[in-house]
Amino acid sequence: MQKEMAYSFPDEVLKHVFTFIQSDEDRNAVSLVCKSWYEIERWCRRKVFIGNCYAVSPRMVIRRFPEVRSIELKGKPHFADFNLVPDGWGGYVLQWIAEMAGAYPWLGEIRLKRMVVTDESLELIAKSFKNFKVLVLFSCEGFSTDGLAAIAASCKNLRELDLRESEVDDLSGHWLAHFPETCTSLVSLNISCLGSDEVSFSALERLVDRCPNLRSLQLNRGVTLDKIANILRRAPQLVDFGTGNYAAELQPDVFSNLAGAFSSCKELKSLSGFWDVVPAYLPALYSICPRLTSLNLSYATIQSPDLIKLVSHCPRLQRLLVLDYVEDSGLEELASSCKDLQELRVFPSDPFGAEPNVSLTEQGLVAVSLGCPKLQSVLYFCRRMSNAALVTIAQNCPNLTCFRLCIIEPKTADYLTLEPLDAGFGAIVEHCKDLRRLSLSGLLTDHVFEYIGTYGKKLEMLSVAFAGDSDLGLHHVLSGCESLRKLEIRDCPFGDKALLANAAKLETMRSLWMSSCAVSFGACKLLGQKMPKLNVEVIDETEPPDSRPESYPVDKLYIYRSVAGPRFDMPPFVWSMDEAVKILH
Amino acid sequence: MELQLGLALPTRNMVKGFDLNNHGLDQLKEMGGLEAWNKAAGCFADKDCVKSKRSFEQAFGNFTEECRTKPLLLWSGQPNEEEDHKDQKKATFSTTDENDAEEDDQVVGWPPIKTWRKKIFQQQQQPRVGRAENNRVAENENGRSIYVKVKMEGVAITRKIDIKLYQSYQSLTNSLITMFAKDKKCDEDDYILTYQDKEGDWLIAGDIPW
Repeated sequence: MQKEMAYSFPDEVLKHVFTFIQSDEDRNAVSLVCKSWYEIERWCRRKVFIGNCYAVSPRMVIRRFPEVRSIELKGKPHFADFNLVPDGWGGYVLQWIAEMAGAYPWLGEIRLKRMVVTDESLELIAKSFKNFKVLVLFSCEGFSTDGLAAIAASCKNLRELDLRESEVDDLSGHWLAHFPETCTSLVSLNISCLGSDEVSFSALERLVDRCPNLRSLQLNRGVTLDKIANILRRAPQLVDFGTGNYAAELQPDVFSNLAGAFSSCKELKSLSGFWDVVPAYLPALYSICPRLTSLNLSYATIQSPDLIKLVSHCPRLQRLLVLDYVEDSGLEELASSCKDLQELRVFPSDPFGAEPNVSLTEQGLVAVSLGCPKLQSVLYFCRRMSNAALVTIAQNCPNLTCFRLCIIEPKTADYLTLEPLDAGFGAIVEHCKDLRRLSLSGLLTDHVFEYIGTYGKKLEMLSVAFAGDSDLGLHHVLSGCESLRKLEIRDCPFGDKALLANAAKLETMRSLWMSSCAVSFGACKLLGQKMPKLNVEVIDETEPPDSRPESYPVDKLYIYRSVAGPRFDMPPFVWSMDEAVKILH
Repeated sequence: MELQLGLALPTRNMVKGFDLNNHGLDQLKEMGGLEAWNKAAGCFADKDCVKSKRSFEQAFGNFTEECRTKPLLLWSGQPNEEEDHKDQKKATFSTTDENDAEEDDQVVGWPPIKTWRKKIFQQQQQPRVGRAENNRVAENENGRSIYVKVKMEGVAITRKIDIKLYQSYQSLTNSLITMFAKDKKCDEDDYILTYQDKEGDWLIAGDIPW
């Protein structure tokens, strides 16, 4: 009797309950309870995240979830950021847009990362979705200001246009003027990636003027310092602001105008931009520094003394991105001033220089680990490291969730003991039990992978370069890391054995990238044949892999799970190891 | 020479190791750890190497007792092809070394910095002109900044500064002293600013107007 009551809830009640379930994981769990829950859930899922656009086809998504309002897609593998994925590899969004145009007339949000977006795609978005609100193109390419003009002109209720880190072809600077006078809905606008000529400043000013809800604005480098005050006075409600150029000859009236404009922004919490900084203008920020929680100075070539002065005014800082000009002394100041720091990224100012140009060593990071107990996320480029320092950092910061260390010279040993850095990274994975993301560097043997496999139970993403001795290393990771989703490896002596022995593991992961390793063409074919739920793709720009012996190692290998089968848009230098495709060849 | 990778029945005298998925690390360590792995890697060419066959069976799991040894990959290699293969394998791991020997001593995609960040560095810095004991001036293309390498006698680190940020020799000298003061105690009067002009002559700064 009671059992029947449980199932007698009308669908509307369940549907209403499900609206409170937002996370994808929970939604997926709900859909597995029983057939009727699966049905109800799929009709009310509004938001879909697809971490690999080739893992599923647009048609499959539309068939299962007919009423989606928001979609997020990721295309190229992460190593595409570092030029390891040749142009033309794939990640085209057009087919997705075309299919969704018909199926999702109410689609309001599209978020894309590392995808190829053409003007045609943008024009199709502009034409097809009457309620379009959010367009985020993160690290995308393939489009021009013409496509942006179409979006601006047609999307009457556009709230967010974010082009961060994308590559845009500049055809005309006046696309901003295409926003109609009736458009007052903008909340977020990020045009920081555009070149100098691509923005008409007067159109920008008018747009900012008529959008009272604008909270986030990132200007591009072409906007000069004297213009910042004009913008800020029109948008004192800004929470997140990216300056353009921050350099000019020091003039008292410009300075006081700028300082006044900043101080009128009572909500401002996050700053970025700062291309070409003249240090004398930094004090104009002092009035808002006490409220700042996020500061991105990673393009600013300002030296340590000026950085120290600025940072010491920001006690609430949670996130800092900076160049290694900050030096150990700057990081020591950071450690003593910014007790709320959660995220630190230090980028190299002269990554290709043979000698160090700044006094930044492992000591800076150790100081921050000691002074900032809330530290969770680290990206650190440096030229030397020691196991002792890594152990100290691990012990000081057990709450680290993301640790990415890049020692610039590959295979650099512990500078004190000349040993590999296995023990140091081992301490990181052992003490930081919530570590989700790890990037390794320096001299590393198979032992480090043994530690990672043993302790890295929550590790989801691992990046490896110039490390390890043998397949045993790879085997430790694939067999030990239970939560592993993404693994990317370059220039490591990992071959067929560990890969083939752990083939089943690959179906539990989003993707595996291996380049300049020792995986043979034969092993790739074997994987492709035996694992139909995996797409095994060999990338070789010089010649077809089957023109060489099967034991020959492949140049680049990208393996990902997919329910859509092999993709149809592979360029000539990508070969699918799927048997069906080979027959067609 | 035949290369055989077979999916084999487990044989009686099966070595315990290489049952990778089930027995984990202990077996591998028993076998001698890294060396055993390296030897095994070479046994693709060895028909008698049961170990690797066992591992494939573990991987694919769905083979019944009736499964026969099936060569999945056959390769009749010529000796020179085999050599080429070895050389190529070496080349794969020595990318860094090879590249060091070339003029362009940079490995592709290393250090892992996003392309657009690299572009910003290139816009902000002039081409390196090699080690210099003192200042060397070279103009940047777009004239926005003029970056100069500065080295102080007795200090290991060479620094780069943008001299466009300064209005006079004095302000430049003051700033440099402050910068280098961390590395070496220095009195303002003890140090002289010198620079190297286009002809390579070392001149004392201050003779020519800023």
